[in-house]
Amino acid sequence: MPSICFYFQVHQPYRLRDYSFFDIGSNHNYYDDLKNKEVLDKVAERCYLPTNQLMLELIEKHNGQFKISYSISGVALEQFATWRPDVLQSFINLANTGCVEFIAETYYHSLAYIFSKEEFKKQVEAHGKLIEKYFNQKPRVFRNTELQYNNELAAYIEDLGYEGIICEGVDRHLGDRTPNFLYKAPNANTIKSLLKNYKLSDDIAFRFSNQEWHEWPLMADKFASWVHGIAGHGETINLFMDYETFGEHQWAHSGIFEFMRHLPEQVLQHSDFSFKTVSETIDAYPVRDTYDCHELTSWADTERDLSAWIGNPMQDEAIAKIYALEKQVYESKDEKLIDDWKKMLTSDHYYYMTTKFWADGDVHKYFSPYDSPYDAYIYFMNALSDLKIRLELKGEAQKS
Amino acid sequence: MSNTRKKVLMFGWEFPPVISGGLGVATLGLCKALAPMADVQMVIPKSVPDFSIPHISLIGLNSFTQQELDILFTSENSFYRKHYHQNQHWDINPYTKIPEGEYIHQKFFSVFQEQVKPFEIDDLYAGDVIKKVIEFARIAVQFGLTQEFDIIHAHDWMTFLPAMELKRRTGKPLVLHVHSTEYDRSGPESKNWVYDLEQQGMQEADFIIPVSRYTGKICHTHYGIPTHKIKPVHNGIEAIKPMVRPKPFKEKLVIFFGRITMQKGPSFFVEAARIVLQQYPNVRFVLAGSGDQMYGLIEKIADYGLGDKFSFTGFLNKQKLNELLAIADVYCMPSVSEPFGLSAVEAVQYQLPTLISTTSGAAEVLNGALQFEFWDTHKFAQYIIASLQYEGLKNSVVESNAKSLQSITWEHCAAEVIKVYEELEPLN
Repeated sequence: MPSICFYFQVHQPYRLRDYSFFDIGSNHNYYDDLKNKEVLDKVAERCYLPTNQLMLELIEKHNGQFKISYSISGVALEQFATWRPDVLQSFINLANTGCVEFIAETYYHSLAYIFSKEEFKKQVEAHGKLIEKYFNQKPRVFRNTELQYNNELAAYIEDLGYEGIICEGVDRHLGDRTPNFLYKAPNANTIKSLLKNYKLSDDIAFRFSNQEWHEWPLMADKFASWVHGIAGHGETINLFMDYETFGEHQWAHSGIFEFMRHLPEQVLQHSDFSFKTVSETIDAYPVRDTYDCHELTSWADTERDLSAWIGNPMQDEAIAKIYALEKQVYESKDEKLIDDWKKMLTSDHYYYMTTKFWADGDVHKYFSPYDSPYDAYIYFMNALSDLKIRLELKGEAQKS
Repeated sequence: MSNTRKKVLMFGWEFPPVISGGLGVATLGLCKALAPMADVQMVIPKSVPDFSIPHISLIGLNSFTQQELDILFTSENSFYRKHYHQNQHWDINPYTKIPEGEYIHQKFFSVFQEQVKPFEIDDLYAGDVIKKVIEFARIAVQFGLTQEFDIIHAHDWMTFLPAMELKRRTGKPLVLHVHSTEYDRSGPESKNWVYDLEQQGMQEADFIIPVSRYTGKICHTHYGIPTHKIKPVHNGIEAIKPMVRPKPFKEKLVIFFGRITMQKGPSFFVEAARIVLQQYPNVRFVLAGSGDQMYGLIEKIADYGLGDKFSFTGFLNKQKLNELLAIADVYCMPSVSEPFGLSAVEAVQYQLPTLISTTSGAAEVLNGALQFEFWDTHKFAQYIIASLQYEGLKNSVVESNAKSLQSITWEHCAAEVIKVYEELEPLN
């Protein structure tokens, strides 16, 4: 009795403004509020509000048979609360249906797991509290920033009390096995790993509107038939994607909303099939095999590794220097300072610095608010310089 | 020709408010100072309606309407066809390759074939500059032929074409003002169309006014121009009241500003900074400007782990530059080749100790400046440290430079230029 597990990532960073050398020491506002609000408004109108409305209609129409899961970063929720309470309310309305589950993650959508376990734990805890506050749920399943994952993380998350963890189904670790079962890390005891079916997920998230694709146009009945084809050799089809797939990456006129509107009924035509949230999925199925993933993987780019965030000298320096401040930042006991530091841990800042495909001008460039990765680095380092000055002043004041 | 007020037809490229570097500032400074002593008509690509200078007649070619151009060009005869299309009179190698993958003579051909159109130019140095230079020349020559003048005076290679052409056609003497050469911009290996044009112009000119003895030497050694034709005249600078601004951080601040290109030696600044920071971590460095070496240097600085000690500001306007100078402690100009280096003099106006390379014109006028070979990053670094550490050294550099500053004026520069004019033999 296979099921579909839909999980959507919702995230918006606090983008840094063009913070110049001349701001260092005199202006402590690092954020581009105008830009951040503008992006939020745009994505709210194109994606969050219409898609949430659609999901609500689908849940009502199918009498609780259509179920989905979300991970919403703490910084996204904060910005909803500040600028678009209507978006926040629409997620709360979804939570109230009982068919929607919210997933745990780091509050700041950060790389903290790699660079500071202490900070990581604090951020996961803070995020959990926020989810409980808004949605009245205690997350049981965890997903790390952009599906970053390895064996060690699975065991670590198990120790924090979670029962499931989400990751990419990476071919080089799966081999010829299917992602459509639950797996377990070799070093973990009970925590179950949900592997993304990247083939079917990316058919929706990336290829949907590609007219060069031989399957274009993708209709709900065709996709449902692919899903049905899995019967007999799979238990859960994990369709994990960025929520902005709807209306933002795939524009409305591509037909993505119509596709989604009809997908549940097409899938449910086969009475063996159902939709499950992430918790329901781990409750329903046993672990079938070991997924041994020693290296850190993610869902980014074709490499499915961390090379979009770390590895070039600018990213490595920025990350090393910001994490080096951790102890001092907490010792300052200055809430604004701590908050600014944490906001600079958001992984997007380092993603904007990638030079991986900069010359070809591709997806990284599209998602960057800056003219170049070099600008991203300069503004970040300038803000970091200012943060350090504030820390020093604070330290001196504390001494005297 | 002495004792009469000269009529000078000048050709410029950058001119305020449309400037991107020192050329525009220098052309304006000279023009203003010449105004009491000569009648200057200044022909430039682009003028702005509400910008004017007393006693200077500014002619922006962008202001000619189609109708005015048609009138100008009624007298255009077969000259061009004869001289350019067949490349006979023209010594410049017509097969010099230019970056766009075309040949220069094709550009000449197409520009002169076309119906003359109003001159349009947005960014003086973007896109197909050579084509713009040729279009500029075509209109500037026709305009020049309708004017009365005694002397032709052209600033840098972009304006050499019309200046040379007018000398050929009117027999009036030609003075070329050399603010920078292809040798400075691209190094000794570059022998391209621009180099050829510069050399041709220098050969045909009656006098060459390089902005320093250093540049004069390049005109002689690199372009083969006899020294008796070379009359170096140093630039001036307008006196200012330095901006005052508190420094928003405690560290000492060491600055570089200028284009981030090979010519300006920014990589030596980075290397010197690295040495300084090994001994004195409480120093900040700023690289102000933009250019093709910027991204490479950003990566290098990140690689050195010095990103929080270095700031890149990009191109700074005058206001921002003053804000930077107001809080700086040391100014550096490690140029590989710097014809003059107005920015070093600006730093002196802010009473900063100036560290400059020997291969610069500024080294000739700033007697107190600490000088080093551009490649000698250890010496450069030691000078930075010493200027930050030893008040005595710093003060003596600043005082001595302040004295030098008194004679770095546009009035002085203009008087020297007039002397050059007076040496010209009447040709007719």
